[in-house]
Amino acid sequence: MFKSNNLAARIFERQILSPAPGTSVHYARQLYENLVPADTIYDVNSPDHNFRKFTDDGQYLISFSRNYQDLIVYRPTWLSYSCKEEFCDLHDDLPLKARRFESFFTQLHCTPLAATNEVICKDFFLYVESKQFGLFATSTAQGSDAPLTEGAVHGVPSIERITFHLVRLEDGSVLDEKILYNDFVNLAHSMGVFLYDDLLAILSLRYQTIHILQVRDSGNLVHVRAIGAFCREDDELFLNSHAQCLALNRSRQDVPSRKVPGESNLHYHPNSSCVGSFLGGIKQRLLSFIFHKIWNEEKDHIMRVQCLKKKFYFHFQDYVDLIMWRVQFLDRHHLLIKLGSVDGGVSRNADHHPAFFAVYNMETTEIIAFYQNSAEDLYYLFQNFCDHFHTSSRDSLHTRFISSHSNNINAQKQLQIIESRATNFSQFVKKMVSTLPFNCQSFSPSPYFDQTLFRFDEKLISPADRPRQSTEHPIKFISRRQPNLLKFKIKPGPEAGGTDGRQKRISSFLFHPILPLALSIQQTYLQPAVVNIHFRK
Amino acid sequence: MSAGSGKCSASGGSVRSWSSATSVSASGKRIQKEMLEFNNSPPADCSAGPKGDNLYQWISTVIGPPGTPYEGGVFFLDITFPSDYPFKPPKVIFKTRIYHCNVDSAGNINLDILDNWSPALTISKVLLAIRTIFINPNPYNSLVPTIARLYLTDRAKHDQTAAEWTLRFAR
Repeated sequence: MFKSNNLAARIFERQILSPAPGTSVHYARQLYENLVPADTIYDVNSPDHNFRKFTDDGQYLISFSRNYQDLIVYRPTWLSYSCKEEFCDLHDDLPLKARRFESFFTQLHCTPLAATNEVICKDFFLYVESKQFGLFATSTAQGSDAPLTEGAVHGVPSIERITFHLVRLEDGSVLDEKILYNDFVNLAHSMGVFLYDDLLAILSLRYQTIHILQVRDSGNLVHVRAIGAFCREDDELFLNSHAQCLALNRSRQDVPSRKVPGESNLHYHPNSSCVGSFLGGIKQRLLSFIFHKIWNEEKDHIMRVQCLKKKFYFHFQDYVDLIMWRVQFLDRHHLLIKLGSVDGGVSRNADHHPAFFAVYNMETTEIIAFYQNSAEDLYYLFQNFCDHFHTSSRDSLHTRFISSHSNNINAQKQLQIIESRATNFSQFVKKMVSTLPFNCQSFSPSPYFDQTLFRFDEKLISPADRPRQSTEHPIKFISRRQPNLLKFKIKPGPEAGGTDGRQKRISSFLFHPILPLALSIQQTYLQPAVVNIHFRK
Repeated sequence: MSAGSGKCSASGGSVRSWSSATSVSASGKRIQKEMLEFNNSPPADCSAGPKGDNLYQWISTVIGPPGTPYEGGVFFLDITFPSDYPFKPPKVIFKTRIYHCNVDSAGNINLDILDNWSPALTISKVLLAIRTIFINPNPYNSLVPTIARLYLTDRAKHDQTAAEWTLRFAR
């Protein structure tokens, strides 16, 4: 179907044509083909902040001060300026006074977040869209000589203090804080934390506990349950209320409490109490799931026992030694947990370590499924139902439009090409599945990354929120409908190009989710960042 | 099966190589023999096998017998054979929490046949005895007197609590 590239014509067309039922949003999004951020203000004179992200509803631009002490929040506003008529007609360019950062963004507030010895974790930010709250983390430096605490996993580093701050973005008031002491949470790219609706899962690597918190409307972070040593919220209480535990309770009192008075915190290390040599709650569930699976495979008891000996008892210690690496919500009850060895949990590149996936229902405290990372049936689920892993909310509009190989024919074709090129299918499965669990809110919902509308080189730019090494050439966005039509280019860095081509330059791109507006930030080692504003004039 | 037993005999050989004491290899032979017997006629609801390639460290699983408050539970046990087995009894520890008057809060179990051990006994007999105390606890030789007392005075309450423990900690 032919569609004009004339914006006015398309708006008229929209008035007289009604789209097929249920496709109105898709239809409306097609208009973005004509509304592209094709103009660039190079090296805009911007405040020297670390620009982090546009919130998914486009209401705020999040940035941190260079020393990572303060949070600075901007409201993106559409460019407006006034000038005398003759200037407007004569100059194709914007007047000089409009070519400023402040013409596009209004600072709402600057809030100091980090306490003494703490810095803001630059890669960590989650947005509670329904309430316009932001979740930030500050932490002290990572200690290499972690004190050996009972219940802590050996080999996991320790951070003296990790604080999560819940901030109302409109005015910058800090509503609540949660503190973890001598713990380790993988905060890079929000890896160790997942937000679903109002439920927050924080994975303590060091104490192997998933803390489930709820973000209340009032702005409180309420502890719902801790999954790890125990499964239900009252398991420990139940255990302590029974006589069996008396002897151990006595020894527990000898441990000095490190709780700081007057602060709400998550200093909850159940492993240190009443455990003895027992398997932890979630480990018991996992082992019992694996046991039942093998048990039910064989009907004959003798065969069954032999099967268990080979498949289960021989590897028993390996299963016991698995630690939880990462976690994500699949819905309000189900968690997808990635497990592996201690080495793989801390290292940045864990792809070559063996890994397992478990689906856990935290209400019934049951393991629903367990896969190895080479499992083809897991890959099949990933291939066909990728969007179910992307969820961040039950009713989030924009996450529905993030292109994936499950909802987009072009992305699917691309995956098929990669799959057909793969020489070793099981290696390919491992590589694809290694992206699970997804980082929370790590994909930009911008329509310019919609693969039904635009084609772009995923090596140079992608909706995933990761900085990339930049090249000299501008990044081209090409129309899908008319395959030879270049719609717009994004060029990070100074207009004339870098002075020294050898230096490594890293670019990050922040796309506004609704407006034709994007920021590109290019960092060169030991030089100030170059911020470009891409917009539609 | 042949592959599995092959693996185990290989591990038995490695045990012999690092310890020159003849008693170790004698105990290793005995454990292997018991393993074959166990595999050919395993007791109901029980299974067991060496952990990794160490013949002296076993893991066993006892499924809570139907009709008891332990029904539906999966109980993992650590079994350690001493180097002078079968002259000394194996050590059995619960890895799964259980509300039982014969199992203490650290998972230790008291079992008549372990206390009065005879080299004629085998691991199958030990697991059978454990399964028996699941069905009939022995309150007169208990490790946890409070549970034993409750078992004798208020059996319904005892069973209810035990079932709750099974649901919470042994599923």
